[in-house]
This record gives sequence, C-alpha cells and structure tokens, in this order.
Amino acid sequence: MRRRLRRLIRLVALGALVVWSLFPVYWALKTSLSTNAAAQQNPVQYFPAHPTGVSYQALFGAGPESADAVGGIGQALVNSVIEVTGATVLTLVIAVAAAYAFARLRFRLKGVIFYATIATLTLPVYATLIPLYRIMSDFGLVNTYIGIIFVYTSGFLPLALWIMYNVFLALPSSIEEAAHIDGASTLQTFGRIVIPTASPGIAATAIVTFLFGWGQFLFPLVLSSSNSTEPLTVLLAAIDSRNAPFTVINAAAIVAIAIPAIIVFFLNRWIITGITAGSVK
Amino acid sequence: MREPAGAAGTKEPAALLAARSTHRFSGSFRPGHGTRRTTRRTAGPAGRGGPLPYAMIAPLVVFIGVLALYPTVLTIIEAFFHIDPLTPPDHFAGFGNFSALFADAQVRQSIENSAWYIVFGVVLIVVLGTAIGLLLRRPFRGRGIILAILILPWALPGVVEGVIWSWIYNPTFGVLNSFLKSLRLIGQYQLFIGSHQIETIFLITLVQVWQITPLAAIIVLAALQSIPNDLYEAASVDGASGGRATWTITLPLIRPALAIVSVEALIMSLNIFDQVYVLNANAGTGASLMSTTYFLTFQDLNFGAGYALSLMATVCTVIISLVIYRIIYRKVEFS
Repeated sequence: MRRRLRRLIRLVALGALVVWSLFPVYWALKTSLSTNAAAQQNPVQYFPAHPTGVSYQALFGAGPESADAVGGIGQALVNSVIEVTGATVLTLVIAVAAAYAFARLRFRLKGVIFYATIATLTLPVYATLIPLYRIMSDFGLVNTYIGIIFVYTSGFLPLALWIMYNVFLALPSSIEEAAHIDGASTLQTFGRIVIPTASPGIAATAIVTFLFGWGQFLFPLVLSSSNSTEPLTVLLAAIDSRNAPFTVINAAAIVAIAIPAIIVFFLNRWIITGITAGSVK
Repeated sequence: MREPAGAAGTKEPAALLAARSTHRFSGSFRPGHGTRRTTRRTAGPAGRGGPLPYAMIAPLVVFIGVLALYPTVLTIIEAFFHIDPLTPPDHFAGFGNFSALFADAQVRQSIENSAWYIVFGVVLIVVLGTAIGLLLRRPFRGRGIILAILILPWALPGVVEGVIWSWIYNPTFGVLNSFLKSLRLIGQYQLFIGSHQIETIFLITLVQVWQITPLAAIIVLAALQSIPNDLYEAASVDGASGGRATWTITLPLIRPALAIVSVEALIMSLNIFDQVYVLNANAGTGASLMSTTYFLTFQDLNFGAGYALSLMATVCTVIISLVIYRIIYRKVEFS
C-alpha cells in the first residue's frame, strides 16, 4: 500500500516535470499556429482548433499580415548561424590546441596562464561589457561579424578549455607514448591519434559552445544590433517591443528556438556529457 | 555513520566538478596533475617542450588577455574616472561615481530588486534542482527521454523564454490568468507583471528558474550517481528510512555539487538581464542591477556610473560566491 502510494507520487512528480519543461514551448507553438482571434479567446483553448501557418508567412514576408513591424528574420537567422558557427569553430580550434598543451606538454608559466584563463569563468558579465564595447568601437568592430565572433570566442574559451583539458587528462597517455617511440612527432601524434580519440569530447564541447552562442543577447544587443549583423535574439526583442501581432511574435520565437530544440532532440546525451564535464553555463 | 573526508579526486564526475569550481580557492588542483610523471618518462618531444607548446597556447593567451583580462582591469580603473564620451578627456573622480550612484533612487531600487532576484533564484534553483536530481537518481524505463525533455529549457535563449512567458503572463488573454480563473483562484484577470514589486520579481525569476534548474538537476544527478550503492545498503541495514537517509547521507555527500549549483544560481541571478529586458524593460518594479547598468551606460551614456555599478556587482559576486563556498563546500572522497 505504502509502496503503491510512493509509486504514484513519483509518477505525478515526473508528469509535473514533463509539463513544466514542455508547456511554455508548446504554448508558443500553439499560439504561433493560431489566428489572432483564436489566440485571444477567453477562456483559452488548450489545443488549436484550426492550425494555420499565416503567422509564419507574415514573418517571412509573404502573407497579408506582413508589415514593417516584422521582417528581417531571414537575415537575422543567417547572422545567428554565421556568428555562432564562426565563434564555435574558432573557440574549438584554440581551446583544443591549448588544452592539449596544458594537459600533456611542459612549458613556462603553464600554471599561471591556466589559472588566469579559468578564473575568467567566474567573472560576471559586468566586468567586461562596457570596456569591450569601447575596445570594439576603437577598432571599428561594432556591428561586424568578426567583432562579435571575437567577443563570443573570448567568452566561450575558458569553459571549452576546461572541458577539453579534462577530456585529454582522461585519455590514457600510453598510446601517445607508443607513437613517440615509433618516431611520430608531437604534432603528428596530436593530429592523427589524440584528436580522433578525443572526438566525442570535442563534439560535446562544440555542442555546448554552440548553444551558449545561440542564447547570447546582451553582448550582441550592445555590439551587434544593426540590421545587417543582429542575431535572432536581438531581432526578437525588437519585434516584441514593436506592435507586431502576437501570433507573429510567437512564430518568431519558435524560429529562434528551432535549432537548439532540434539539437536537444537528437544530441541530448552529448549535452549532458558537456554539462557534467563543465558544470557551468 | 562516519562523515567521509579527504581530498577531492578527479575521476568521478562530482569530484571533477568540485575541482573545477574550487581550484582558485583551495589550491589543491594543479594543471597537469597526475600526468607529470608520465610526461617525464616520455621519450618524445612531448616531455621536453620546445617552441610547440607556446604556439599552441598563443591564440588563447591573446584572446583571454585582450578581450577578458584587459577589459576587467579597465573596469576597475575606469570606475574611478569621470567619463563623458561627448566631452573628453576623462578625469579622475575618486569615489565620485559611487556616491552619485547611491544618490540615485533608481540604482538603490535596482540593488534591492537584485537582492530579491538572488533570494528567489538561488532558493528555487537549488531546491528544485536537488529534488529533480533525487527523482531521477535510479534508472527507470524512459529516463533518457525525461532527461532530454528536462534539458530543453536550458538550451533555449533566455530572451526567447522571456518573450514566450510574457504571453503566458499576459493580463488580457494570458494562459496563466485563464488557468487560475478556471480554478477560481482569481475572480478576474490580473496584471501580473509591473504592478507589485515582489510579485513581478518572483514571476520574472520563475522564467530564469525554468531555464537554469535543468543545469542544477544534471549537476546534482551526476554527483548522486557517484555515491557508492553500499552506503545506502549500510543505511537501510541500520534502519534508516528513505527520507532520513536522504537527509543524513545523500545530501551531505553531494555538498560539493550543491556548492557549485548555489554559486551558479547566484551568478545567474545577479546577472539576470534578458528576461527583465523583455518582461519589464526599464520599469522600476523589476529593474535588476544588470538592466540598470545597461540603461545607465548605453541609453543615458553615463559610462562612469556604469563602470562603478559594474565594479560593485563584480566584487559582490566574488564575495558572495566565496561565502557560499565556505558554508556549503566540504571535500568528499569515496575510498
């Protein structure tokens, strides 16, 4: 009897967890597929009676409701992909090389440089936002892809370094030693043996880094808010503050979360690996 | 039951996490720790160094130096200067920026608001994260799917979540109003955001809790799974009930993870911006330290004030993080 009760409580708790996690996303999706009139009914309808794609047509500039209030989402989607992919690739290249050096090679000031880099993980946004804006404007890099990619990279590097460092430490060094004995150089060993062996860790780092980048808002708001470089997050906040129909705003929100949602759906194991190894967002 | 103590190892995930977040304070963690002996034995250039390691870390040093450490130093220095982009040059202002800040009612309001964001955020994230971790500790059919669903909110942009929740909270056709009214908890539709300070802050915090709790749950879960099963068996032989075993055995053993989760929650709550920007913009009822810093700096172009507020927030973050660590963190080892 008591056992049954416990089982029931567990099931209810799991159900509540699922509803809590999914409902807001479901609600945005449902709203984006409703007409404005249907979405404003009181009391609300929990399921769309007649799903429609007009909000998405309007969003991409094809439907009757399309206006100046929206628009530019195609460009923003492209901007997001370029900026986040660029920053992810750059971060990974730099972090993987440096992490290997920290994990396996010997050089001067190793400890100091390692700690100084990891310590920047604990810096709040406050510490760097305003000076970064001033540095970027001094170099003419505000509202450029390269500027925002550089800033993202400096922000993502410490975590990527930390995860990759732990990945390399966990690899057995005996294979590398065997390669050395066979006459391979450090660089050859690194490229042909270490990187392929560490590729699951590299993939997890890349996915977590990409998700961080996709979620960035404050830095691009300050550093990259022109139409030609703003990412989806900045455009969405702008659309939200204008007088766009709220079904269209919800459609824009769904577009902005589509890629991370797909990543979670297919690659969630890697994300958990990455979080567990890095334990920070 | 003996309280386990000792140095944190690096092989279990929980200990790994602990090492990550404590290395600055404990000094017990060295880069290359555990590999030194093997590298010395290595015959190849790996053990010797040469120019290669410097080439491998050079890009990292440039990026971190120029775009993270240098800006931080700038913040520390510039907080003491009067800066007006329209009338250069900047001149030394001593504590002038700080005294001006405290004279500003808007800033004082945002400091109070941020204190509430921290209280709500840390308590909810730590409690819910631990509860979810405990709920998912034992394997069961479908746990993989539940985990995937769990991490979805963590993976989505905070600003999008703010937008999505703003429609849920909507005063004229929001689902929260409709739901509460159908349960007869409210007589008529309410203006949830912007009318009462505490209510506004709580509801905005809830959006961030929705996003960050999955992270806390995953960290707690990783720590829970590194606890050896025989500890539970010993506890049940001693007659401890499930609830008591959780309090007396499980939670003390995952203290390092709880410390990490608390500090994470603290930093996220102190930095809260995206959700505030979308849900409340610059209204005093919910303005956070970060949103006030943003509007002071980039709308009013008062850079000196922005720097001073930034420095204060940074110092607060570091001090409160250290205090949390002192209170919660205990080294744990399973031999």
